[in-house]
Amino acid sequence: MAEDAFEKEALSYIDALYRTGLRMTRSEADAQDLVQETYVRALRFRAQFTPGTNLKAWLFRILTNTFINAYRKRSRAPETTELDDVDEFSLYRRMSADGSASSSPDPERQFLDGIVSSEVKEALQALPERFRATVLLDVEGFSYKEIAETLGIPIGTVMSRLHRGRKFLQQRLYDLARQRGIAALRAAAPRTE
Amino acid sequence: MDCDDCLEKLYAFLDKELGATERVEVAKHIADCGDCGGDFDFEARFLEIIRDCGTSDVAPAELRRRVAERLRSEAPPIL
Repeated sequence: MAEDAFEKEALSYIDALYRTGLRMTRSEADAQDLVQETYVRALRFRAQFTPGTNLKAWLFRILTNTFINAYRKRSRAPETTELDDVDEFSLYRRMSADGSASSSPDPERQFLDGIVSSEVKEALQALPERFRATVLLDVEGFSYKEIAETLGIPIGTVMSRLHRGRKFLQQRLYDLARQRGIAALRAAAPRTE
Repeated sequence: MDCDDCLEKLYAFLDKELGATERVEVAKHIADCGDCGGDFDFEARFLEIIRDCGTSDVAPAELRRRVAERLRSEAPPIL
């Protein structure tokens, strides 16, 4: 790698690092500090980076380690209460089963089409910390193997965290959609209510 | 492959993390089974929405400027 290629490539990941940091810290100011610190460390330890290997994954490893060491303890927003049955939640099956009672012929499609960007961001930020980093790395396009290496966990754990994280997102977005009052979704209300 | 096996592999299939043999088996089951096909369509669209919305934020210009400056100033001299 040419001397300035490292800097150029490293800077190309700043958007991905920032939004991941934002969802980890739940604070714009903390996310900016976290990203700056990530680059400071990357420069300090750049001799440990092997040119030609995965720079994006290396930077994300620094980001997540820095977050764990410095920011997690003072994360501002309270931890979201985790749903006990998140594992079993199948939104599609529930909506299909309740479809006959719905005012819409296709409530699943209506739900998906109605999802708005701000609610997805809110849901990502609300992910329980236990599987938040795994889901965030997936959103940024990392493979199971890369996520496992970045977080130092087995691939099986990556898969189960992704599964649970995605079910959490579905439940959360479904609740938000219902709060918005999508009529078709009322009929498919979760049974826990 | 039955529906339970298929649904268990749903995310790995959509994430393109299955080996060739399993991938073919799952694809065949989805094509033949309306219920599982519905699940896969729903989950595929859902993941697409999460990725699209989840990657739309960009770093503030000021942060990018500060980081770019630091990267430039600490770059090793070209010999």
